[in-house]
Amino acid sequence: MILPFLVIYMVFLIYPFFRGIWISFHDWNLLAVAFNPDAKEFVGLKNYSRVMWGKNITWSFFHSPFWQTGAVILALVTFWAKDAGRLKSSLAWLIIFIAFLIFFVMGLYPDEGGRWYDRRFWPTVANTILFVALTVPSVTFVALFLAAALNRETRAMGVLRTLFFLSNVLSVTVVTLIWQIMFSPRQGLVANITEAFGGSPIIWLTDVQFAMAAIVITTVWWSIGIAMILFLAGMQDISAELYEAGALDNAKGLKAFWFITLPNLKRTMTVVVVLQIILHFQVFGQVHLMTNGGPNDTTQVLVRYIYQTAFRDSELGRAAVMAVFLFVIMGGFSAIQLILGREES
Amino acid sequence: MLSRSYYALVIVLAIPAFIWLVPTIWMLSLSFQPNDVLARTTSSTGFGLIPIPFTFENFFALFAFGHTPLWFFNSIIVALGMTLGVLVVSTTAGYALARLEFRFKRVVVVICLVGLMIPEQAVFIPLYTMFADFGWHNSYQALILPRVAVPIGVFLMMQFFKGLSKDIEEAARLEGVGWLQIFWYVMLPLARPAMVTLAILTFLYAWNDYLWPLVSAQKREYFTITLGLASIQSNFAQSEGLGRVMASGVIASLPVVGLFLIFQRYVVRAMSVGGSKG
Repeated sequence: MILPFLVIYMVFLIYPFFRGIWISFHDWNLLAVAFNPDAKEFVGLKNYSRVMWGKNITWSFFHSPFWQTGAVILALVTFWAKDAGRLKSSLAWLIIFIAFLIFFVMGLYPDEGGRWYDRRFWPTVANTILFVALTVPSVTFVALFLAAALNRETRAMGVLRTLFFLSNVLSVTVVTLIWQIMFSPRQGLVANITEAFGGSPIIWLTDVQFAMAAIVITTVWWSIGIAMILFLAGMQDISAELYEAGALDNAKGLKAFWFITLPNLKRTMTVVVVLQIILHFQVFGQVHLMTNGGPNDTTQVLVRYIYQTAFRDSELGRAAVMAVFLFVIMGGFSAIQLILGREES
Repeated sequence: MLSRSYYALVIVLAIPAFIWLVPTIWMLSLSFQPNDVLARTTSSTGFGLIPIPFTFENFFALFAFGHTPLWFFNSIIVALGMTLGVLVVSTTAGYALARLEFRFKRVVVVICLVGLMIPEQAVFIPLYTMFADFGWHNSYQALILPRVAVPIGVFLMMQFFKGLSKDIEEAARLEGVGWLQIFWYVMLPLARPAMVTLAILTFLYAWNDYLWPLVSAQKREYFTITLGLASIQSNFAQSEGLGRVMASGVIASLPVVGLFLIFQRYVVRAMSVGGSKG
């Protein structure tokens, strides 16, 4: 009974996963191997160093003072919060671990005469993190606000919810099609409206300052619905009695939201945030179609770099290394989600 | 019950809701405007949000020539195939994990959990080489199979079957009915709501998937509509005309938007269940 699933699952997910790791240990040119299966060569960890390491890489205490001191402060604050009983210890240790990771990683730099072997990899990772850091809070706040406002079972609210959710079912290519032309300086609706108000059009998608913003706006527009739905589901689980009790203490409207809704939404909040981090870390379509990673690589993201390395540069080995890197990060977040979910139930 | 402040809230919220809808309306509106007008200006009437001058030209042209109808057909095949595959695989495996006892059951569950953590983006390169070895690229099975292997459906169905009461099953078993018949005649009909939910989730996913079709389908004849739309986007203004590209976008969105509007309850539930589970 379980065999059909297990066979397909093993062949098309588990086996490819291990094969990916295997590929990452090889010097593997897509075209060369296609013509001659023996053209690959086992190189051990060389691909890993070619992607992530460099020549004369050194570490110093305060190479980037902002991030490193920030990480130390974060760790200390978390430690204090844990001791004061404000934070669950598992979560606290996780944050401290991440802070130390930041502290360590940001201290690495190529010394005199040194360089990163792959100049584009770490900037790409940084762009991806920047994208996630901009998108996830925006989506979360807007969705939370909308869910709170729309949390009533009336026809009008239902229609409004539908309108906000509608963009969520469109495919990434339709979304980029719309927004590419929305942002177009000559034909775009955004430009038309700014011009009508006397502003000069911004060349959104090719301007270093605005390209990432354009991608983020597009993504927020696209993916607000699911977060809103999850929040609504979470809010419906909060019992009405709590609100009735709150009303006796004069907690209504905003107050009720702050003191009753928010504390009871903690679990949903975690789910929404982690889910979105996982989802948006894999951003590909928006960037690939709207900016091609440009201008000047400012919107280049990890999955697009993997795609390019594999299918434009034919360097499967290096691309596989990046895929493993992606898996480690995503797997980390999935594990957090599982652990937090377990703890609650 | 419905106070004045409630109506004020509705009106206040209607404004952002409208703004949210504007990009979609714009696509719809542009698709009904003639290309030669759009080449000059996209804001003829009301910032271009009202399709005047009006024409059906773009849609006729779309179906007269070009690949769009074929891509649409491919998408239907792939999405339906994937949905069917996921349903078959998930119901059987979900039932087995929820109700049947067999060896290595725990191992299977753990393997499935691990699978939930593997993102598609981490395996598309090895999958590419595998399908290249089989010589399967540019085929429907290449577009369908990798997505049937996703364990999320199995978990959804397992949860559902676990939640069902065992009474009916026990009664049937006492009558001497075999478990295969119980599965087919008793459990599957009961599981219909969960199956609809899973089917919609899968269909939406399949219809909108971009990365894997981009990697696997290199011949235009095997593009899905999502992929095809991407391929005509890059040179939209010059060759195809803005109106026609927008019309393709509208066509590409029709099935999913329609599905969403008809089965809204299921979609919303699918999203919240699928979302919180992974």
